[in-house]
Amino acid sequence: MTTNVLMAGVGGQGVVTASAVVARAALLAGWEVKKSEIHGMSQRGGSVVSHVRLAPDGEIFSPIIPAGEVDLLIGFELLETLRALSYARRGAHIIVDPRRIPPAPVSLGLAEYPDDALQRIQEGDYQVHVAAGTTVAAQLGEVRAANSVLLGAASRLLPLPAEAWQQALRLTLKASIVQVNLEAFNRGREFVPQPAG
Amino acid sequence: MEQRQLLSGNEAIARGAWEAGCGFGSGYPGTPSSEILPALAELGDCYTEWSVNEKCALEAAAGAAIVGARCLVTMKHVGLNVAADPLFTLAYTGINGGLVVVSADDPSMHSSQNEQDNRHYARAAKVPMLEPASSQEALDFTKLAFEISERFDTPVLLRVTTRICHSHGVVSVGERSVKQPACPPQPQVAKYVMLPVHARQRRALMAQRVASLRRYVESAQVNRREAGDPAVGIISAGVAYQYAKEVCPGASFLKLGMTWPLPEQMIRDFAASVQKLYVIEELDPYLAEQVQAMGVAVTPLPESLQEGELNPERVKAALEGSPPGPQSAPDLPARPPQLCPGCPHRGVFMALHRLRLFVTGDIGCYTLGALPPLQALHTCMCMGAGVGQIHGINQACGAGQRAVAVIGDSTFVHSGITNLINIFYNNSPSVVIILDNATTAMTGGQDHPGTGRTLHGGPGRKLDLAALCQGIGIRHVQTVDPYDFKQTQAAIKAAVERDEPSVIIASRPCVLLSRQRGRPFVVDEESCTQCGVCLQVGCPAIISSPTAAGRRQPQIDPLLCSGCGLCAQVCPQDAIRQAGDTA
Ligand SMILES: Cc1ncc(C[n+]2csc(CCOP(=O)(O)OP(=O)(O)O)c2C)c(N)n1
Ligand code: SF4
Repeated sequence: MTTNVLMAGVGGQGVVTASAVVARAALLAGWEVKKSEIHGMSQRGGSVVSHVRLAPDGEIFSPIIPAGEVDLLIGFELLETLRALSYARRGAHIIVDPRRIPPAPVSLGLAEYPDDALQRIQEGDYQVHVAAGTTVAAQLGEVRAANSVLLGAASRLLPLPAEAWQQALRLTLKASIVQVNLEAFNRGREFVPQPAG
Repeated sequence: MEQRQLLSGNEAIARGAWEAGCGFGSGYPGTPSSEILPALAELGDCYTEWSVNEKCALEAAAGAAIVGARCLVTMKHVGLNVAADPLFTLAYTGINGGLVVVSADDPSMHSSQNEQDNRHYARAAKVPMLEPASSQEALDFTKLAFEISERFDTPVLLRVTTRICHSHGVVSVGERSVKQPACPPQPQVAKYVMLPVHARQRRALMAQRVASLRRYVESAQVNRREAGDPAVGIISAGVAYQYAKEVCPGASFLKLGMTWPLPEQMIRDFAASVQKLYVIEELDPYLAEQVQAMGVAVTPLPESLQEGELNPERVKAALEGSPPGPQSAPDLPARPPQLCPGCPHRGVFMALHRLRLFVTGDIGCYTLGALPPLQALHTCMCMGAGVGQIHGINQACGAGQRAVAVIGDSTFVHSGITNLINIFYNNSPSVVIILDNATTAMTGGQDHPGTGRTLHGGPGRKLDLAALCQGIGIRHVQTVDPYDFKQTQAAIKAAVERDEPSVIIASRPCVLLSRQRGRPFVVDEESCTQCGVCLQVGCPAIISSPTAAGRRQPQIDPLLCSGCGLCAQVCPQDAIRQAGDTA
């Protein structure tokens, strides 16, 4: 069975690093994994999505998740979460950081930010977990660790062993920021209740 | 060494080249190919370089191949247009040491100015082409490409696309085996000197080579049949194969790894074994047309499929004959990319905007100067073109035009220099602004001759851009700091009024490179009259919220502000000050 994880955010928020951690954790657990995202223009503050597909065994074909088959959507920002929502299947888990980053057209007064974004996400047929990643990371003194908070929350929903997560964080991040990210990861676990069964 | 690694397609190509004993890697950055050479450099024991442009890269490799070195040359799809001249004749001379050219195409133009399908190059230049469909195949096919290259004495095209380059997959890696070059080179005049008399001989040899390649490909393991439901047969290659497998796992497949020349007999046999034959491919109907030309019936698919990147939904809809499903909510505001806070290009575009000039532009981060609110770049065609266009505009319109060209430093060295010489030689009163941010920022910050560092990060010789322009003969060459708005604007104004060629070098490193952050600025809301001038700076750090009076109150996000101070320089009320300063 393939599990499909989609991450959505804004360039500079660490979406690609976070998806690298998930993919590496899956590799360390001996799983099959494919991950895909688009570099380039998106890094200059544009929208970024990263697809990760993992399976304990068997082959994964497409590196991108078919629309409507996302099992877990990790949203780093409200507008971007809303934009990616149609990729989630009914009943999917959504982890969302209730953070707002207004895009240029909004700052220029040419468009409106959807103020009801969180409400629209919560109204859908999903299991929504609001995880204040940015707030917690700021409390820890490193806003850039917000992505690790969200990964901590995700670790409650993905059946990968705890050591694989920790090791993946250590291997993916610069040594100087590993500790604060491990802390952020642990704090993130509190945002999702222990899954039943 | 761990045998199972998670590698991007680009890393896998580098690994494959390294295992194949590649001794020479060259290329010019271009999304989605840019990560291949750094990965090869990282593996070590192989000479690698950023070349000045793709033509230089291929020509240098052609030389290294003469003495038997195995060479990898990397570029994005449009780079092959630049390198096409050597490629076509290299197919005549042959190579000696294996030579693999990676062409990384960008369906959907995620980071490109066009969407050309470079598979046509293989056929046009008569060079064999391999198309991997995963990271594992990227590694395996790169090794195979070197073997084919040497066995048939021909360059080989390894054609990949963005989804292959930038997707990661689990790959089994192997060991490296090295081949030493045979120096010094021995003359082989009839092989390497393409005088017509020799070229005609080589042309005949090329026909023989193509004939042997056609025999080879019929039994090559790189193409494979996958048994399935005989009602539906699918011929596919590259990432399109993965999408087709995803949505039609039960169908019969002919998975092509080598897509020029095609295994004609294999295709005929496969077609005869299925009831309905589909060809699933991204971009042009390159395979479908060749299969049809063989007299094999192919089920027609909508022409719309030829535009843009495929995905599982589009392939499914095409096979089922239904419209593709709904995309994301349409009412949401877009999030276009923007110049970073503190980007050195911004000061130049603010000045160009205020001076209301027509600006011929080029490709790089600075192309974003075309977007609102700056809107101060009015053309972008291909690398180097803006410096040609400004000359054409000025010659066609006569003196006194209010137009200038802007070009990035990497782009200038890649292909702006020849156009500047053309401006000088033909005495056109054109103004060229070189945006010298000391890196190739758009593609991820690679070094180039103007930075004085090589691909390995070590010291290289630094090209002096001002001295170069003066050496060409340009009399007015001025360097300005784009963080100094007044100076920048004055220099441009003076240059435009001159009846002679001039060059302005706006010099200041990319903020991602310098990583220097000044103290953030703040808007003093007491003295701010909400005039909106600072919002026209187009800085992502300046956000605004509507006020009760229907205006917008600007604010500066202290986490995003880089402290460049450009907004403070244009605020008519002096309401923007550095945190900690008093009025
Ligand atoms: C022939 C060709 N090769 C490569 C590219 C990819 N590419 C686009 S812009 C660019 C260079 C950008 O560097 P620079 O001119 O210094 O501008 P910056 O992005 O730093 O502002 C490159 C390599 C291309 N578009 N065309
Ligand atoms: S990466 Fe550098 S050159 Fe590109 S927009 Fe940002 S600051 Fe400007």
